[in-house]
Amino acid sequence: MPLTMAKTGEPNLIKKITGKDETRRFLESLGFVVGEQVTVMSEIAGNVICRIKDTRIALDKSMANRIIV
Amino acid sequence: MPIKIALAGNPNSGKTTMFNHLTGSTQYVGNWPGVTVEKKEGRLKGDKDVIIQDLPGIYSLSPYTLEEVVSRNYLVNEMPDAIINIVDASNIERNLYLTTQLLEIGVPVVIALNMIDVVRKNGDVIDIKKLSEALGCEVVETAAVKGTGSKEVAAKAVVLASKGTKPSPRYKFSDTVEAALTEIENLVDSISNHRSRRFFAVKLFERDEKILEQLKLDENTINRIEEIISKVENELDDDSESIITNERYTCISQVVEKSVHKKNKSRLTTSDKIDLVLTNRWLALPIFAAIMFLVYYISITTVGGWATDWVNDVLFGEIIPPAVEGFLVSVGCADWLISLIVDGIVGGVGAVLGFLPQMIVLFFCLSILEDCGYMARIAFIMDRIFRKFGLSGKSFIPMLVATGCGVPGVMASRTIENESDRRITIMTTTFMPCSAKLPIIALIAGAMFRDSAWVAPSAYFVGIAAIIVSGIILKKFKGFIGDPAPFVMELPKYHLPSPKTVSIHMFDRAKSFVKKAGTVILLACVGVWFLSSFNWTLTMVDAENSILASLGKIIAPIFAPLGWGDWKSAVSTLNGLIAKENVVGTFGVLYGVEEVSENGAEVWAALQASYTQLAAYSFLIFNLLCAPCFAAIGAIRREMGNAKWTLIALGYQTGLAYAVSLIIYQFGMMFTGNFSVIFGTLAIILVAAFVYLLFKPVNKHEGLTRKAMAS
Repeated sequence: MPLTMAKTGEPNLIKKITGKDETRRFLESLGFVVGEQVTVMSEIAGNVICRIKDTRIALDKSMANRIIV
Repeated sequence: MPIKIALAGNPNSGKTTMFNHLTGSTQYVGNWPGVTVEKKEGRLKGDKDVIIQDLPGIYSLSPYTLEEVVSRNYLVNEMPDAIINIVDASNIERNLYLTTQLLEIGVPVVIALNMIDVVRKNGDVIDIKKLSEALGCEVVETAAVKGTGSKEVAAKAVVLASKGTKPSPRYKFSDTVEAALTEIENLVDSISNHRSRRFFAVKLFERDEKILEQLKLDENTINRIEEIISKVENELDDDSESIITNERYTCISQVVEKSVHKKNKSRLTTSDKIDLVLTNRWLALPIFAAIMFLVYYISITTVGGWATDWVNDVLFGEIIPPAVEGFLVSVGCADWLISLIVDGIVGGVGAVLGFLPQMIVLFFCLSILEDCGYMARIAFIMDRIFRKFGLSGKSFIPMLVATGCGVPGVMASRTIENESDRRITIMTTTFMPCSAKLPIIALIAGAMFRDSAWVAPSAYFVGIAAIIVSGIILKKFKGFIGDPAPFVMELPKYHLPSPKTVSIHMFDRAKSFVKKAGTVILLACVGVWFLSSFNWTLTMVDAENSILASLGKIIAPIFAPLGWGDWKSAVSTLNGLIAKENVVGTFGVLYGVEEVSENGAEVWAALQASYTQLAAYSFLIFNLLCAPCFAAIGAIRREMGNAKWTLIALGYQTGLAYAVSLIIYQFGMMFTGNFSVIFGTLAIILVAAFVYLLFKPVNKHEGLTRKAMAS
């Protein structure tokens, strides 16, 4: 399922990242890689703040939807 | 030849803090990613032969936004003599991703393991020796905020730069990939003996277009490389870029496993707990509104207001002018000179300086919010709203910067990837009340709305509203159609605001404010005094018969429908183009002239007498929204890159200002039973036009064809 649907506070493993190369590359440099653990900390109308590799990253809905967990 | 040392690292890892410490400068530091958008140079304190270069933060050497391109180009093409790689130790895994790339450039690297104090506080341990061995370069523990370690890092970098020692990482990618990279290195003659050969090989493996272009390889070589890549891709069943990314992260986790010992892996940090409240789905917006209201209430209406009242009424009302006048009379000064000094300079510049206390309090509050990390959350909270109006939360950052000054605000728009979003942001950023507009707000709120708490904060919210409305409307015009840029932003940790950073912000603003008052505004006040004291035959007259009055009366009628068609307001507004403080300075001179010549009482009472509250508010709104000062116009010109867009921006700003002020004034008049047939009707038409533009469906079809044409 996409990250937007993940339950708040529950750690998930990233299965896949979809989308254009450029965006995917950027997400990867932020630590979003397949197999990495990601936790949604809070969610407002599809926009999420998640925890990955000890940082908090804010993502809008369209970006969060590209991360499949 | 001076030694050049570059500071490179992830956004918000403390590069500028260290830069300031090493060079003694006071560059803007903020607790959010993307504060630095340009590279800055400075000389190392104590060794003038060393140039330190501060670069915008990057997550990797594959740039994503405009300001990241600046960093990559510098590091890869200009090649500094050494790189200080600042690594946020509390987030070491992600930060080392960039490090693995920097080590490949072949330039000496020293790692500054920054924020080590935070790591220690968490009870985590990092084995510096093991880390340094694995990465093949020196590692120094630092805490840039406290200033510890910075000098040692710089000293090590200088030594390495003169030796030219290349880093020699111990970690290796998997055998298949290593073999392919070596093959590429040997295949391409032009990189075989280059000190950045590893970097080039990896980039060629990733099929980086810019590098391919730069190396100008012949067809045969390109085909050979392609064969090598495809072989590996088939073997590992992934595309070459992802292969490299995975290799890097695998190496990093091996390095981290050996050298970092975390006490507790997944616990809720203090930052997480604060975020649960501040970014809560329901509470986030009300909390933000309340905080902004409080900030303006404290700085304009209460604490700052009291100080300003004292400065205006007592210091520049009862103490300085009579004292100066008394002194000048006692030394037998000519009448015109007394008038110039007392009315022109003391009156005008004093009027502006009077607002210094309010400004200091406001910037004290804003820099606390900024430094503790809250402002970055606002961008996230606002993204949801901005997105509905076709902009992304990223547009909020320039607006935030613009509360200080519009010039860096406009420049901060570079962090936005999407061209049309960037243009809209440049056009609307200066709607935010900057420090120079603060005196106007404070003057109107103070002199015209004595007991009202809402006027000053409303200026802030009118600014945001103007931006949102502009977003909706502009997105419906050709050239702006398109989806808003994606929003991805790292949120900094909350920390207690550092007194040093807060005071630097505060005094920087105060300094430039006072400096401007002593130069541009002083000159403008003298000009205004001259033009308002003499008539065309250069004899001294009352202001009403002066050159300025006759000029002002020509343009004043333009503003009559807005409720302030007198020449003094018109002249003040025009003067605001030089610097927004001039609006108040001009009032100081013009109303001061009359008042002082009568009985020397306070200036602002005169202002109260000549304005209704409605007209004053309309005046305030016009001056908030209309074309910014020349310095900001220059910045808009630079960032837009052409004259056409600059003119569109200025025309839009002034047009919107005029329309909104007209609507406010005419509707206000209607409610008090003074309907003006022509302008009242015009106001109604304007409202209808706004509503139409706001709710008109976006022409998706047109947007799509444009996109198709563009691609």
